[in-house]
This record gives sequence, C-alpha cells and structure tokens, in this order.
Amino acid sequence: MATETVDTTAEFVLSEKVRKEIDHWLEKFPEEQRQSAVLAALHAVQQDIGWLPENAMDAVADYIGMPHIAVYEVATFYDMYNLKPIGKHKITVCTNISCMLCGSDKIVEHLQQRLDIKLGETTSDGMFTLKEVECLAACKNAPMMQVDFDYHENLTPESLDQIIEKYRNDK
Amino acid sequence: MVEIEIDGKKIQAENGEMLIKAADDNGITIPRYCYHKKLSIAANCRMCLVEVEKAPKPLPACATPVADGMKVFTRSPSALNAQRSVMEFLLINHPLDCPICDQGGQCELQDLAVGFGGDRSLYDEGKRAVANENVGPLVETRMTRCIHCSRCIRFGDEIAGLREFGMVHRGEHAKVATYVKHSLRSEVAGNIIDLCPVGALTSKPFLYRGRAWELDAHEAIAPHDCLGSNIYVHTRRNQVMRVVPRENESINETWLADRDRFSYLGANNDERVGKPMIKREGQWHEATWIEALEFAANGLEGVRKQHGAEALGALASASCTVEEYFLLQQLMRSLGSHNIDHRLRETDFSDQKHLPLFPSLGMQIEDLENLNSFLLIGSNIQREQPLAGVRLRKAVVKNQAKAMSVNFLDHTVNFPLSEKLVVAGDALLFELAGIVKALIADQKELQDQTEQLLKSMQPTAEQQAIADKLKQGEKSAIILGAFVQQHPEAATIRALAQLIAQASGSSCGVMSLGANSAGAYVAGMLPHRLAGGAVAEKPGLDAGAMLTGACRSLLLLNVEPAYDAANSALAEQALAKADFVVSLAPYLSNDVREHGDVLLPIATFAENTGTYINVEGVWQTSRAAIKPFQECRPAWKVLRVLGNIFKLDGFEYVCAQDVLNKAQEVIDAANFVEPQWFCPAPIALPKAKTQRIAEWPIYSVDNVVRRAVALQESLHYEQPYGARMNQATANKLSIAGDSEVMVEQANAASICLPLKIDATVPDNAVAIEAGIEATRGLGGAFENITITKRVG
Amino acid sequence: MNLFEKIKHNVKSFLLWELLVGMSLTGRYFFRKKITIMYPEEKTPVSARFRGLHALRRYPSGEERCIACKLCEAVCPALAITIEAEPRKEDGSRRTTLYEIDLFKCIYCGFCEESCPVDSIVETNLSNYHFEHRGENIMTKQKLLAIGDKYEESIARDRANDAPFR
Repeated sequence: MATETVDTTAEFVLSEKVRKEIDHWLEKFPEEQRQSAVLAALHAVQQDIGWLPENAMDAVADYIGMPHIAVYEVATFYDMYNLKPIGKHKITVCTNISCMLCGSDKIVEHLQQRLDIKLGETTSDGMFTLKEVECLAACKNAPMMQVDFDYHENLTPESLDQIIEKYRNDK
Repeated sequence: MVEIEIDGKKIQAENGEMLIKAADDNGITIPRYCYHKKLSIAANCRMCLVEVEKAPKPLPACATPVADGMKVFTRSPSALNAQRSVMEFLLINHPLDCPICDQGGQCELQDLAVGFGGDRSLYDEGKRAVANENVGPLVETRMTRCIHCSRCIRFGDEIAGLREFGMVHRGEHAKVATYVKHSLRSEVAGNIIDLCPVGALTSKPFLYRGRAWELDAHEAIAPHDCLGSNIYVHTRRNQVMRVVPRENESINETWLADRDRFSYLGANNDERVGKPMIKREGQWHEATWIEALEFAANGLEGVRKQHGAEALGALASASCTVEEYFLLQQLMRSLGSHNIDHRLRETDFSDQKHLPLFPSLGMQIEDLENLNSFLLIGSNIQREQPLAGVRLRKAVVKNQAKAMSVNFLDHTVNFPLSEKLVVAGDALLFELAGIVKALIADQKELQDQTEQLLKSMQPTAEQQAIADKLKQGEKSAIILGAFVQQHPEAATIRALAQLIAQASGSSCGVMSLGANSAGAYVAGMLPHRLAGGAVAEKPGLDAGAMLTGACRSLLLLNVEPAYDAANSALAEQALAKADFVVSLAPYLSNDVREHGDVLLPIATFAENTGTYINVEGVWQTSRAAIKPFQECRPAWKVLRVLGNIFKLDGFEYVCAQDVLNKAQEVIDAANFVEPQWFCPAPIALPKAKTQRIAEWPIYSVDNVVRRAVALQESLHYEQPYGARMNQATANKLSIAGDSEVMVEQANAASICLPLKIDATVPDNAVAIEAGIEATRGLGGAFENITITKRVG
Repeated sequence: MNLFEKIKHNVKSFLLWELLVGMSLTGRYFFRKKITIMYPEEKTPVSARFRGLHALRRYPSGEERCIACKLCEAVCPALAITIEAEPRKEDGSRRTTLYEIDLFKCIYCGFCEESCPVDSIVETNLSNYHFEHRGENIMTKQKLLAIGDKYEESIARDRANDAPFR
C-alpha cells in the first residue's frame, strides 16, 4: 500500500493499466451512466499510485466525462480513498455509535498516544497512517478497527499494542 | 387536473405537480430552503414537511406529487411539530451571528426561526466551523452559515452548466466547497447570492455596506445586452447599493447576468465626471453648464458655418435610450446633417437599405428553450447574452435540441455542440454557402435565385450534417452573434443566413450589439432612415465613413471611439482630425481627453429615465432611481437644451415621457416598407493573409462595465489579454517560442503584446481583444495583421 | 354662624392666627435638614439607568465594539442615527465608517442601547452638556468613542449595577 511519489502540479496521465481497468468498468454501464464507473476508476488509480492527488482525480473526471467537482465529491465521501499520501499501513478506527458506546474514544486516544500522531496523520517513519472512519459493519464486536484490509475486533489498549507490534515487526 | 385540499381550501392542481408548487400557486405558504421553482427537487432540507391525510408520517411538500382527493395540513400540530424539529436541527450548527451577517433582514432562515424556531436548543455541544472559500471578487462566502440546501450546487449543474460548488466530505464534515481553490467562472454565478437562503453566499461588492431594510427598490432595465433583463435597483441616500433581478418569465426568468448585476459599480466609480469640462489650450477646466453648453453650441455652429452642415456628425453608443436617440437625430437633422449612426462596431453597411425595421431575434426569447435545433453563427452567446445562453442550454439539456455553431473562434459553451465548424475570417462565408447549397438541393426556386452566388459550391459532410439537423428540427433557429455584425462581409453572411433559414424553415435572428440597437433603428439613429424606418431622402454618412475622418465635427453620445469603434486606430485619428469634438459621457475617457473639446457629463442608467427596446421588440421604460451624480444631467435634457440654444423648433419637451410620446407618434405615423432580400455579390476566394479576430471581452462592452472594477477582477482567472493563436500559426510565423510579439495593422501603431498559444483559434488567425486599453490603437477586426518578432 | 363662631373668627382675624400657622410651617422647615444642593458643586445621585449623553464603547483590548449591524439605526424612533459601513481595510472586519447621532433629533428613549447586541452604543449618565455652535449637535463616531473612552469606568459600573434587574 506504499505511496509512490507523484508530480501533483503537472497534468496527470492515466497509465495504460488504469485505462484498461476503467474501460472494463465503463463497459458494464449504459453510455449515459458513465459516471457509475467513477468508484472503480478511483480505486484503479489508487491501486496504481497509492493515493488520489487532485490532478489524478481531474484525469479520471475528464476520462469519464464528469465535472471535476463531482469526482472530488465521491472521493471525499468514502474513507477508503486516500486524499493524502499514506504510510505503509493504514489504520482506520470506527467511531460510529456502536463502537463509540463501547469505548472507541479510548482506542483512538491510545492509538494517538502510542503512535504519537493525530487522526489523519502519518508516523514520521512512514509506517502507519491513522484515520477515523464511518461504520465498517462489525458492530457486534465493537470497538473495532481495520488495518489495511484486515478487521481487528473487541479492541482493548493491550490488544492494540500487540497488533501494532505485529505490524511493525512484519516488515 | 386533480382536486386537492390544503388547509381546508379546495384547489385545482396539475397532474404530477408537487404539493409545494400547488400551494405556492394558491398563496399558501409552506416553509422551505432547498426547494426553488427553477431548480430540480432535492428534498434535503426537510423544512417543508406537511401532514397528509392517511400518510403515517409528515411528507416533504416539495417531493410529494399531488393526488386526487389528497388532504394536506400545513399548520396541523403534527406538521408544525415536524417543522419545528427540523428548524432545531438546522440551528444546531448555524452560528447566531445575524448582527454581522449581510443576509440579516432578508434571510429565510431568520424569518423561519422567528416563525418556527424554539427559543432555546437542546443541543449544548460545540458548534462546527467551516473554513471560508475565496471564490473571487463577486461572491463572499461564510461557509459556517451554510445549511447544505444545495441550491448553489444545483444552480451550477442545471442552469449555469458549470459545476463549481460541490458537497465534499460526509456526515458532520460535509461542506459546500470548490475543493480546488478557484474563482467562480460562470458569467451568471452572481445568482447564487440570491439563491442562498442564508448568509453563506453574499455579494462581495455590497459586503457590510447596507441592510435590506434601508434600501429602496426601483424597477429598472439592465442596459448591457439586447435582452433587456428586468432589475430592481436598490438605493440608499441617493446611491445605488446593489442590483437584483426582477422576475420576468419572458425575459430573464428569475436570473440575472453578473454584468447586469454588478455594472452599477462602474456608475459609482471614482472616474465619474461631476461637472461640465471645457478644454482650453490643451488643458481641461471645469465649467458651468451654461458656459459648456454655449461653448459646445458655438463650436458646432462654427463648423457648420465654415464647412456646411454635412461636416457635422453624431455617434451614439448602441446602449442609449430611445428618447436620447430620437432627440439626437432630431437635433442633427434639424441642423441639416444626416451623419448620424450608432453602429460603431460594424464595418459592412452595404445592405443597410435591405435590413428590417430593427435587428430582431425573429422569435420570443422565452421560446429559445423550446427549440429543437439551432445554429449559432459567429456568436459567443454565453458571453454576449448570458441569459440567452442559459435558455439555449435548457433547450439542449431538457429538450435534446441539436446545438450547432459556425464560428471564428472555438468558444467554450456550456452545452454540448452536435456540429461545430471553426474557420478564420472569410472562409466562414464558404461554410455558410455550403450549408445553403446542401439545403436547397431539392428547392428549385431557391436554386435559381442563388445560382450566381453558389455556382461552384460543393457541400462537405459537416455542412450537410448541419443542414440536415436544421431541417429535421421542428422548431429551429439561426442566431447571428456579434462577430457577424462586426464582420466586413456582414451583408453576405446575413444574406446567406436568411437563405439557410428560408430553406430549412428556421427563424433567423440576430443578437444585436449593445442594449438598444433595436431602439436606435426604430428612433431613426441611422444615416439612411428616419424615425420609424422612413427612408431618408439624402442619406448621410455611416459610422464607418464618419470614423475615417469625413466629419469636421463630431458629437459623441456615450461613446468612447477608441474602445467602442470597429477600428480603434482610425477612430482615434478621426477624433484628432476633427476640428471640434463634443462628448456627452459620464467619464472623460483617454481618447476624448486627448482629442475632445468639451465634455458634458451625463447620467448613467440608474440615474436616467429612458426606454429600451429589446431584441424581441418589447418596449421597456426604466425610471430614474436616484438623482444624477453631482451636476450630471440625463442626456435627453442636455440634447433638448442644445436644441433650445440653437433655437430649433420642436424642442419644448418637459419630461422624458414627452420625448417618448413624440417619438412614438412619429414612429407610428412613419411608413416602413419591408425591404427585399439582399442578394450579395459572388463570394471571393479567401485571402491567405493572417487575419485578426477581435472580440470585445464580456466586461468591456460599454463604458460603464469597463469601469466596474470587481467585474474586471473577476476575469483575472482567464488568460489576460494578448495575441492568441494556435501552435501551427505560431510555427508558421516562426515566433512559437517567444513570450511577446509585435503586432501591427494598417494605419495603426505597432504595439507589443504577450503571445498566447491557444488551440481555440483557427489557422491563419490571431485573436486579439478589442475595447481594452492594452489594444487601443490597433486596427480593425477581421483585417490583416502583421506579427513580427519583438526586437530587443 | 352662631355667636361663638363669630367671636372666634374675629379674634383669629385680629391676632393674625393664620399667618402664624403659615409661619410655623416655614419655621419648622427652617430648622429641618435641607434637601436642596449646591449644583454644580454638589450633585444628586443618578440612577444606573439614567439615559443621558451617548457613547460608543470599546472592548478592554481597545477594539471598538460596534459591528455596524445597524439595529440602532433601524429602531431609532426619531431617525437620529446615521450609519455607513464597509469592511475595514486592515482586517476586513465589519465596521462603521460613519456613525452619527443628531442630538436635536434624539429623544433619549434608550432603544438604541436596548437593541445593541454588543453593548456598544450606550447612554451614559451625563446630563450636563451644551452646544455653542451650529453642527455641534451631531455626535460623530470620534466624539462618541472619546466619551466612551473617558467614562468607560462609570459606564461599566452602571451596567454591572443594573445587570441583576434585567
């Protein structure tokens, strides 16, 4: 999930792979509903370069034929899109109601202290990025968080430390 | 039709109509924020919740279609309770800063808070704050006040055709923003100020300067384009504070172009001249009105005595009032001169006898949105008549109309063009001729009529496609823009456009220059026609001839020749050559400062009473909202007094209405014969030289908007002026790598301009704006231009 | 009137009885504590709610309070207040460029003070002031602020004293 360096000032050129992926999705939707492919297109770009700089979103908008701002709306709405470069592992903590009632505030606080960063920031060694997200549908085992694509549930400060250590050692 | 009952009142409503519209039409008020009759339905504010019989929960009136026998209660306990709760939710995050909010006193949220708000909130957590956006010099933002009704977003999407705002992020972090910082680019963006129900989007030039309750509203007409948008001028203590739209479904609906909304800033500009001025020994001195008027009259009389009445000429802008045109032509004709004209930006007068009574759209403005296909010729409609552009966009988006354009520049338009031809200069004639040829393939009569003209034409595939689409459209129109009127072959283009219209069953119309071209034609502000269109026995000189120095004396009404005339260089030389130049204008422009002799300061639009005739032929009178600036006088008064000083008969008018009555009388009595179609000479082969394409930028069309500073600043995002050409032309001229070039035209000074590579310019053409200081002194539009490397 | 009454009336008349009654009242007050004061050397106490000359106040930081909301101008029944406003050059904040009260028009109703959301315009307890020249009746923003600066202490004290009753 590492982030590549991208020139955010120049015009962004979608790579051949990304274009193919977007075309694949565009085929699935009727011609007048091209914008339906925007989610998949943004995923494709993010997989390619790790995050979504503005010029990349503009390139997606132009490719699909949407107003630029419409793409920004989508990209900012969903937590899985990274609008800033991220660290090696992305930790996303659910702070919605079930998790909040089961103490997600404490989890967030502990993580912030442990990693010495605030929500939305990346550790100085580029290892972890901490974000808060909306409900990830694991309410029965609240509080929970997601690291990269794995769920970690029934969190306590102690279990958090173990999880973080595991990822830190897992080079 | 269905019958429903709202609050016990039985009303008739259209099938499928929304409840809120039925209620509005019958004078029943339902509170709302996100609903606007001209925008799509979002139903996201939930303020319009009403109780409907048999519905388990309150329903949003804006998104509930009427059904026969429906019983609605807008003020029942359940409805009121719902509205009150919504209000409480909205006020959770809305700051209580009404005293410093410009919307205070005209705020929908404030009004409804009085009606539906509780006196205290159950919410005691912190309120959220949102950073403001800097969206340019016209619109001020206070995004913390935003209640997310999304009207501004929908306006950009649906009306302006340029989505600039969006709802970014989600949940508590959701905000209306541009995301990427930029100024608003739409030419109708100012409407979001009116649309915003709270104080999140307000007018920047009006910021903190006034309160709704201190302003007096005066009905007026916006004098900057040929539509004649209806406005309210809001004044306080004899000053125009702001301008807002006045609803008129047949012209401007509820909208207003930014040019009309903010042009008052030009009238309030420091450059206004408040006292008459006389130039003596090269120095301008203030004078009394009597001195100045007598000085002007003596000067004109002197030239008349020495060189005869034919040496007198008068030029008026295309945005004066009917009264002023009528008086000016009466004055000049009484003095014995027919040298009067208002067509400063035009260059081809060869078909003037064949033109209709006034330049007309040939259809209702309202009908533009019902077209099935239309062809824009030489028009940048969005910039020239922004609200006509809005109508056409509706035709394309809602009506799936086929939009086509034949133009000299590839202008961006806010609707998709199904066919587009972009060619330089004279090549446009061939394109049009090709379209005619394609259309008349099966029309024998027209073939005979145009045999000479179209002898060697073979329509191309694109021309054929345009012809077919025009023919297929049930309602189709040809619309001629500013470029056509400015073109040296305008007569031929007009004739060809008429042929296209005739052959395809379309209407043919022109979006005339200025605000009152129609008024000028009707009032006889023409060298060859008297008021009402009667033929002048001895036609005088047209604007082109007058500005090549044929007149020893010039009377200028609201004109700045170096900026308003087709050929800036020639116009300025004509001023220099003239023995005596009288200028009636609100400002002392640079050209008049150098070459003028006397300046009679006149009132601007909000200070003046006058009639405008729009492109549809509608007469609209605008009454003075405030007293003129300092000692300025309305131009009709100045002209009347000049008539009195010359002791001419028929200048006994007491008020503007008298002038209008007299003009009306003369116009009604005149006998206008609808002229024959003008048959142009066969089209010559296009010249291979590099031609200039001169466009008057949107905020440089007349002397008032040129001085509206905020409007000028709002264009800063655009490429500043310069010599624009495509890469191929630049390569051909071997200047591709340069940043600045020398530009030269016949009879004109050579000036240095920045070079801009612009793909929207066709081959062999250079686009250079006119009407701005930087290009003052260049020659004519569509004339040859020499571009050379800058030396040193 | 019977005989006794007549005699009593005559005796009282000759003895100047009613004059004595009157003089006794005068005599009583002559020895009582005086309530008149030697104005202007001495002054009577003034209510915290007294509505006298106007002033514009500042925050302790020195920033003027007035935010040009124009509510006082709107509420003034005598149309004595004139305000012009625009964004302040330095920081773009909402400020008046002109704030004038015509004291000839003012009826000292105190509505301006009531309507002010930031306690900027106040009526001080000053009642002794006069004009010598035409035009001095117009209180400009500078004059009003100067009064506010000079009497801030008493203005603040009066507001504080009155606060519990509002």
